[in-house]
Amino acid sequence: MYKWFFAWRYLHTRLIALFGIISVTLCVAMVLIVLSVMGGFLDTLRERARGLLADLVLDAGLLQGWPYYEEFDAYLQGQASDIVGTTSPVIHNYGILRVPSSNYTKPVQVAGIKLDSYPKVNDFRRSLHYEKYYPGSTTLAPQRQPFAGFHDDKLVLPEALQEANARWRADEKDSKAIKEFDALPYALAPSPGPRVYEAHPDGPVYDGDEWPGIIVGNDVINRRESDGSTLRFFPRGSLMVLTLVPITPAGNPLGEQPVKLFTRQADDSRTGVYEIDSRCVYVDFDMLQHALAMDAQPHADGGFTAPRTTQLLIALKPGTDLHAAQARIRGVWEQFLLSLGERPTADEMQALRWVDIQTWEDMQRPFIAAVEKEKVLVTFLFAIISVVTIVLIGCIFYMIVKNKTRDIGILKAIGASNRGVATLFLVYAGAVGVVGSILGIAIGAVFVWYINDIQALLIHLNPKLRVWDPSVYSFDTIPHIVKIVDAVGIAVVAVAASIVGALIPARLAGKVWPVEALRYE
Amino acid sequence: MSKPAALLQAWSVHKTYLLGRVEVPVLRGASLGVQRGEFVVIQGASGSGKSTLLHILGALDLPEKGTVTFDGRNLFAGSPAARERYRNRDVGFVFQFYHLLPELNVLENVLVPRLTGQSFWSWQVARGGVRRETEAMLERIGLADRAKHRPAELSGGERQRVAIARALINRPTVLLADEPTGNLDAVIGGEILDLLVELNRAGQTIVMVTHDAGVAARAHRRVVLKGGVIQEG
Ligand SMILES: Nc1ncnc2c1ncn2[C@@H]1O[C@H](COP(=O)(O)OP(=O)(O)O)[C@@H](O)[C@H]1O
Ligand SMILES: [Mg+2]
Repeated sequence: MYKWFFAWRYLHTRLIALFGIISVTLCVAMVLIVLSVMGGFLDTLRERARGLLADLVLDAGLLQGWPYYEEFDAYLQGQASDIVGTTSPVIHNYGILRVPSSNYTKPVQVAGIKLDSYPKVNDFRRSLHYEKYYPGSTTLAPQRQPFAGFHDDKLVLPEALQEANARWRADEKDSKAIKEFDALPYALAPSPGPRVYEAHPDGPVYDGDEWPGIIVGNDVINRRESDGSTLRFFPRGSLMVLTLVPITPAGNPLGEQPVKLFTRQADDSRTGVYEIDSRCVYVDFDMLQHALAMDAQPHADGGFTAPRTTQLLIALKPGTDLHAAQARIRGVWEQFLLSLGERPTADEMQALRWVDIQTWEDMQRPFIAAVEKEKVLVTFLFAIISVVTIVLIGCIFYMIVKNKTRDIGILKAIGASNRGVATLFLVYAGAVGVVGSILGIAIGAVFVWYINDIQALLIHLNPKLRVWDPSVYSFDTIPHIVKIVDAVGIAVVAVAASIVGALIPARLAGKVWPVEALRYE
Repeated sequence: MSKPAALLQAWSVHKTYLLGRVEVPVLRGASLGVQRGEFVVIQGASGSGKSTLLHILGALDLPEKGTVTFDGRNLFAGSPAARERYRNRDVGFVFQFYHLLPELNVLENVLVPRLTGQSFWSWQVARGGVRRETEAMLERIGLADRAKHRPAELSGGERQRVAIARALINRPTVLLADEPTGNLDAVIGGEILDLLVELNRAGQTIVMVTHDAGVAARAHRRVVLKGGVIQEG
């Protein structure tokens, strides 16, 4: 009984207990913050990387792309329909984006996607902005610009958009999002806002020439405020011109002139990966294929070249093992190449030989590579921090108990047992460890949860205090998730370190004869 | 010289200390028998080994040779648990320097020996009774009104009373007191002594170390520790 009583009493009256609690608290909070932010960083990276691609990717790593992807798609569905779900081809290229209304010009990475299948192999649809508030309204097909206008003395959008918005309101569970929307449904250009439309004197209409749609990476044209919101300057449906350089199957630029593609901004996309959102634009696959002369082109000797793509994304059926599927589809690819026989030209065969079936992890390796190095460093630093923390906590308790050696002597002199004395300090250290851990987890968790607000505040005080630069760290926000496993793990280790640190001197002091312990100054 | 029937008996106890490399023999075969109800005073020059002997009698320290029996049982042959019980139940020890626990108030200091050996649950049952008993004990030593004070707030004499109360709370058969008046002035020391004499009259067996001849005069029997052995005075 006296163990509980003493542990309680020591906890109450010893300043050193307070120091013990404070140091455990700080150590636990520090480790939790480091682990959550760094771990969150790597987790987010993986998760995002996967959401951007698909389970498996066929890629030759060539700008000119590779042919016979449609034949392969059909062949694959025939050979491996049990594991293959949706597939979607993607063309990657580079170009210049220009907004004629303001002469705003930027180099961009152009992705040609099929909007009917691409969002089925990854999380692309979730990244769209207007599509969220006006579901079904984002398309890459030729379109006119939607204008807001007065209708019955009210400023409204064309009916299709109003209806789409009504559908969103009906389905949206987050009442705060609806409230926010209602506070400022959209701004009228040239005012910037969360959603921007142009106004038309003739009322709500679709007007202007029809041009194919383009989805633009959020950070290509918009400005992100420090509070995390996005300011849009160009009205939806703005004209945007893409300048591209077509490439022959052998990889040479085709013709003298780059091609110009007129498009209308249908939406913007925010995947959360800064490298992508600040560079990528998305247009229709077929249109881009045609513009880059990657579609069927007449041959000099009659006939047509085979259409090309740069990637084929493959989503696997749920529950399929990624690596087994990769191996199997590699085999299918080999058979497919044989089945092509003499059809491919020498240039095409070159390209086909470069094709590899990679998992999303392999694919993102270049993207992750820089971070992988960082991860090694961070893991190493983290290991040091953890060890230092554990040793520190152990030392603090060692000192606390050393200070109490005389008490141990007294307790032993009045008949306390060896084990009892050790238990007393175990309970005491455990209590200090538990209290410190709980406080540390609380402080650390709150810090992690509000880490972006804390940074916003710092930047508000002095812009130089920005510690998380989105262009450096890939993500636009600092990871702010605390995993329960991490928190519990850290707390357990901290309490264990406290107990071990206290137990060693307590056992040593408990072993000597009472007189020896009493003599301890 | 010692009767086997004694309640507490030191049998030719030897104890040597190392001072640097030099072995300093302190006890060289000290024997002492204490009968039930006796008030024995151990006298001797400073540094003669009185505290050492008393510690060994209380099983707070281990002799190199010889042993101590209590009620016929060998203290140093038994298990550690048996010694712990002996320290807790059979003897009460009063130190020259009080050795109270600074975090605990007077009341708590006194009842700590009761706490040891109680489980969490048995304590919940016993606490009311122990509390009353402890308060009665404080009443008896005249410190009832200081129950909530910390040792640091007490005078030397008051601290020694608390130490005596703590030594007695488990109704030990023998009270071992090491110069309980050594750090106190004559008046206060006299009061402590009165208390001990009174306890002895009520049947308490007491072994007390002192080098105050006046104090010694009030005991049943006085022995002198000299040259590492006990000489009956
Ligand atoms: N732990 C120890 N180490 C070395 N010498 C000790 C130790 N304890 C006591 N002594 C020595 O033993 C002798 C007897 O000490 P003690 O029993 O305290 O004497 P007394 O109580 O009669 O004054 C002294 O000379 C003292 O210095
Ligand atoms: Mg002494």
